[in-house]
Amino acid sequence: MTVDGQEIALDPEGHLVDLDDWTPEVAKALAAREGRVLTEEHWEVIEVLRDFYRRYEMAPAMRPLVKAVGQTLGAEKGRSLHLMKLFPESPAKVAARLAGLPKPTNCL
Amino acid sequence: MLLHILNRSQSSSRVPLDTLRAMSGNDRLLLIEDGVYGAVGPLANVFAAIQGRVYALQEDLASRGLEDRRDPAIELVDMDGFVALTEQATQTVSWY
Amino acid sequence: MSDTTNHPMLVVLRHAPHGSSWLREGLDVALVGAALGKTVNLLFLGDGVLALRSGQQHGPLGQKGTHPTLDMLEMYDIDTLLVDSEALTQRGLTVADLQLPASPVEAVSLPELFAQHSPIYSF
Repeated sequence: MTVDGQEIALDPEGHLVDLDDWTPEVAKALAAREGRVLTEEHWEVIEVLRDFYRRYEMAPAMRPLVKAVGQTLGAEKGRSLHLMKLFPESPAKVAARLAGLPKPTNCL
Repeated sequence: MLLHILNRSQSSSRVPLDTLRAMSGNDRLLLIEDGVYGAVGPLANVFAAIQGRVYALQEDLASRGLEDRRDPAIELVDMDGFVALTEQATQTVSWY
Repeated sequence: MSDTTNHPMLVVLRHAPHGSSWLREGLDVALVGAALGKTVNLLFLGDGVLALRSGQQHGPLGQKGTHPTLDMLEMYDIDTLLVDSEALTQRGLTVADLQLPASPVEAVSLPELFAQHSPIYSF
């Protein structure tokens, strides 16, 4: 994948090979590859995920993701339904990928 | 009743002591692999308090040449006996 | 056989950080259990109590520690941390030396603790 003339390496599952490659522009490009458009509501979840990773060095499974979003963005958004709407299929996996995190290890 | 399965011996490890601390009054202990090194001679005295509820796997004693040195207070079981002990227990806990 | 279906799961952590991967593997099992919605309690036994020591860092070559994962447990709603009181004493530690609040368990209470959990995973 190329972003702003920079070659960004991805693994077969579409995660960044080098997590330090992440920028908001890279997130937009990753989303575009998957046919997604990022809104303000996506960005705030991505920021929660990046903060989670900075703190705990791991990408969260669904249950702790919901809890972290609830703690930061309020109970209204800390619900799996909200995350399912923003990141259909598998919110923990999709959002981690867009946030430039590794695959959630204990997400089944 | 829990079946505790232990593969370390008190001659090289503190794990058997932790196993004993975790055992309740009707739990059983099965010594396998290097755990059977703890089933011989005076070393086996550490199991005195749970006499009658300690087993050692015959195959592992035999392969170590220790089958005839087993402390008589420790019961001998073969693989079928191992399976039977497992079936009688509500669950097993492995210590290694 | 007694009915154990409503018992919480117990993960027994018996290894210290950094020297082997047992502690990390045990924590991973706890996280998977919690992610599946089980109630998971942790028992730090023997050397495992060292996992709770405050002030841990990455390894000298930048190896990841397990201390950030311990901080993360509350996000998985794993909040019952039981610590082997005797093992703490043997190492000159008290609960005040630990990274997280943990409940000391006396040796006499261990058998009952094991009897009240199912399944039990020991690492």
